[in-house]
Amino acid sequence: MLPTTSNISSLVIDSLCDGPYGGEIVVAMFYCDFRDEQQQTTTNIMGAILKQLVVRGEVLENVQTAFQKAKKEVGGRGLRLPDIVQMLKQAVSTLPPVFICIDALDECLPKYQLELLRSLKDIFEELPRTRLFVTGRPQIETEISRSFSTSVVVPISPKTHDIKKYLEKRLEMDTEPDAMSDALQADILRIIPEKISEMCVGASMAPISMNDLY
Amino acid sequence: MGYSPHPHAINSGNINSYNVTNNYGSVTSVNKVIADENPEIMRWLSPLDPGRRHQDVRTDRLDGVGNWLLETSEFREWRSSEGGADKAVLFCYGNPGVGKTYIR
Repeated sequence: MLPTTSNISSLVIDSLCDGPYGGEIVVAMFYCDFRDEQQQTTTNIMGAILKQLVVRGEVLENVQTAFQKAKKEVGGRGLRLPDIVQMLKQAVSTLPPVFICIDALDECLPKYQLELLRSLKDIFEELPRTRLFVTGRPQIETEISRSFSTSVVVPISPKTHDIKKYLEKRLEMDTEPDAMSDALQADILRIIPEKISEMCVGASMAPISMNDLY
Repeated sequence: MGYSPHPHAINSGNINSYNVTNNYGSVTSVNKVIADENPEIMRWLSPLDPGRRHQDVRTDRLDGVGNWLLETSEFREWRSSEGGADKAVLFCYGNPGVGKTYIR
């Protein structure tokens, strides 16, 4: 697969988990998916992040206490966003630096995007060691800058090297390799990466018009 | 990609000792053990399960693709926290599946 934002996110997450700093940080992630947008409320996403931070006894104890308290109330009270934010703050404050990765933020309903970023900002203000990695379509930058005054921005576009690797893999898996001459294979590996790179340069300069293609 | 347990234990308290953090490539993840032991609490926190999606995505990922990002100064600074709170947020933008349709 070419580096879609999800592939980039999974790579970043794996590099954080397996990197030289391994045990000195804690990683939590969330992949937004438009097919699941109704369930992806801010509360559910923040809850999913908190779930991953339950890696220590004291975090578990806090969550268990809140759970038992909620259970005692009539019908068992569901979680509210402020409860989750509070529990997240408690968790983050007891852990090594927490890295939160959110993929494809634009695949979350617009009403939750800003709320999610604001809730994260609330945590970041109190616990400045926390780090956030976000991917999404270019338009999301506006939402991010409304919550975080500063952010580092990097464009993702398939590099020629990445496209070549992808094509080589696809050709390797070809079920009828003899049907293609070596010359044609060489042409595929030369021409397609060039064309896609050109297309992506255009895409990064004119993201709105290019969206019509997807 | 291969996975090996991290050398540092970060858990404490009343939880059994494991030598990994929340490494999704490992079945011995502390987080997974706790989650398995407390399924009711985990469902209460959220019905969503991002770990499963991560596994699906990383299974399809080709080794080496996208590594350029990890080498950029922006990523390295963010990762090492050198820039402090001003560089707490790293935003990578792109269009989902860019280029993929072209060569399918």
